[in-house]
Amino acid sequence: MWRALLTVSALELRTRLRDGTAIVIALIVPVTLATLFGLALGGDDPPLRATIGLVDLDGGEFPASVRREVTAAEELKGSVTLRDLPGDREARRALDAGEIGAAIVFPAGFSARVGAGEGGDVTVLTSAGSPLAGVVASAVVDRISAVVDARTLAVRAALLAGVPGDEVKELVERNGAAGPALTLTGDPLAGGKVDLAVYYGSGMAALFAFFVVGASFRSLLTERKLGTLDRMRAGPLAAWVPVAGKAVVGFGLAMVSVCATWASGTLIFGSTWGEPLAVLTVLTAHVLAAAAITMLVAARVRTDAQADGVIMVISFVAAFLGGSLVPLHSLPGPLQTVALLTPNGWTATALAELAGSGAGVSAVAGPVGVLLAIALGAGGLAVLGFRKGMLL
Amino acid sequence: MAAMTAALSCLGLGKRYGDLVAVDDVGLSIAGGQAYGLLGPNGAGKTTTISMLVGLLRPDAGTVLVGGVDLAREPLRAKARIGYVPQEIALYPELTGRENLRFFGRLFGLPRRGLAARIAEVLDLIGLTDRADGKLGAYSGGMKRRVNIGAALLHRPQVLILDEPTVGVDPQSRKAILDGLEHLVADGMALLYTSHYMEEVERVCDRVAIIDHGRIVADGTRRELVSLVGGADTVELVLDGDVGAAFEKLRAVEGVSEAARTGDTSVRLLADGGRYLLPSLITAVEGHATVTATQVVEPDLEATFLHLTGTTLRD
Repeated sequence: MWRALLTVSALELRTRLRDGTAIVIALIVPVTLATLFGLALGGDDPPLRATIGLVDLDGGEFPASVRREVTAAEELKGSVTLRDLPGDREARRALDAGEIGAAIVFPAGFSARVGAGEGGDVTVLTSAGSPLAGVVASAVVDRISAVVDARTLAVRAALLAGVPGDEVKELVERNGAAGPALTLTGDPLAGGKVDLAVYYGSGMAALFAFFVVGASFRSLLTERKLGTLDRMRAGPLAAWVPVAGKAVVGFGLAMVSVCATWASGTLIFGSTWGEPLAVLTVLTAHVLAAAAITMLVAARVRTDAQADGVIMVISFVAAFLGGSLVPLHSLPGPLQTVALLTPNGWTATALAELAGSGAGVSAVAGPVGVLLAIALGAGGLAVLGFRKGMLL
Repeated sequence: MAAMTAALSCLGLGKRYGDLVAVDDVGLSIAGGQAYGLLGPNGAGKTTTISMLVGLLRPDAGTVLVGGVDLAREPLRAKARIGYVPQEIALYPELTGRENLRFFGRLFGLPRRGLAARIAEVLDLIGLTDRADGKLGAYSGGMKRRVNIGAALLHRPQVLILDEPTVGVDPQSRKAILDGLEHLVADGMALLYTSHYMEEVERVCDRVAIIDHGRIVADGTRRELVSLVGGADTVELVLDGDVGAAFEKLRAVEGVSEAARTGDTSVRLLADGGRYLLPSLITAVEGHATVTATQVVEPDLEATFLHLTGTTLRD
């Protein structure tokens, strides 16, 4: 049966290469558009000049240390500024208004509780519109957490050893856990240069993945019209072979397309999309979702011309709403929510996270999981549709 | 027992689409070396029946056995014994004739080593050895039809199912196709054949079933079927005038058992003692039309078809 599958795939690939659609749609157009968008609109993402709100309800040494370190950090000079805000509500309001990109909230009594070995919680407010600010704020809080953990452990150890409560602070600080020794290095910004060329490049990759993979499922309907599909189905081969043979080629060409767009963006603009394995994982999940959705279209329409129209509409709507044409943070708030109904929205979110933070696969497990769920759901419905439409 | 040994047989085959009964209790059996014709007017259920016989459509009822193998239980084994020639040219126009055959040969699991030789054999059989490397899109209709048949022969099927294999074919190609099919049957292949051309069915098939409204209404040799008409002759009339009104008058003439319009000015009647009925027929249309030509044909398969279905084959 594998030989039959390869035979179908070989003919599909040969047809796609011979009629030129594979080269044009998979390579030339997405790479060209991504490059043109990058040249015309590229540059540093506005969040690189983000403002982080600081809500100091504590008044203790920890917030003071944060203010001191952020102001002093060379890595953040000129790009991240702190703005003091009186309370949590004001911080949220400023965040919603786009006046700040993220906020760190120290609750009242935080430093005192940490000093007593009780630990404490710091809240970070983030906005999808300013991923870099969120990354910096989260990194700062991660540092605080490490210091708090060390301090809490030391205090508890001292108390257990019988040191009187009023002497613990002095003892702990004298022996190394001296206050909130917060230091900010370049780490929070590793891989964090989110260039708009990355947004547009990944957007074009996400958009054209639909067209490339959709063309293979469309050809299934062309074969039905031609009668060759019935000839195959009447032959001694499993019903899934024609569909799978074309799906393999569509998936492969779409992967080539997204990777070529990714590579061209990196080479031309010198911008990184993030940790390669993680980016590849996201792109693979996106192509799978696009394949399943276009397969569902092919299963539901009657003719290849209908498939063309429906795939085009779905691709562009998903691209626009999902941040492939306009960066997600530039969309109005309600549309940013709607974006999460599209695979493009999850792909854009995941790639922005990777480009901004330099994180690995685990950081985008959620979006990848959603993309795979879309692939499974749409793929399942497509198989049912194919059976009903006598393609399987 | 016959069903167990037949190259192709079906029993109680049925298919419904909602309230519409497309095929109802169809049964037939074709032995090796036998050519079986399936005749019926448009919408009678021929294509639905064939689709179920080749495994393209799952029947609601009944069984299909191919060389004794149950199509529903072992579809791949059963399909390996069927060669299906669809009504349309189900080939790739951008490939050459040889490339088309190579594609379907590989797809149907022919061993790589013997594939080229088998393709050469089939090309010889369909008379296209010299033109095999031209693009299919540049072939004549008849040449495409021959490759269409050739693609179904590659895997040496026991039974060949042909759905209107000569539509749009020039006389020379039609003759080549029919000669080739007779040759295959003589070599022991079973054949199921549908066509709008009664003369083809009469020439190729030694047994014929007539299907109407999803049911087989008659099944037998040509002689057996023609005898169903009794002594009735087919009367062809060409009329000038109000043909519609004249047609209604002709239907009512005593002795006319069936009537069908075969064109704007022509009608076909089935009438006992047709030649003696001519004066009555001419009188019947007076005042509405005049008879400009007549022809009386002895009973044949066409007459049987009209008798059983009330329509002509090309309606």
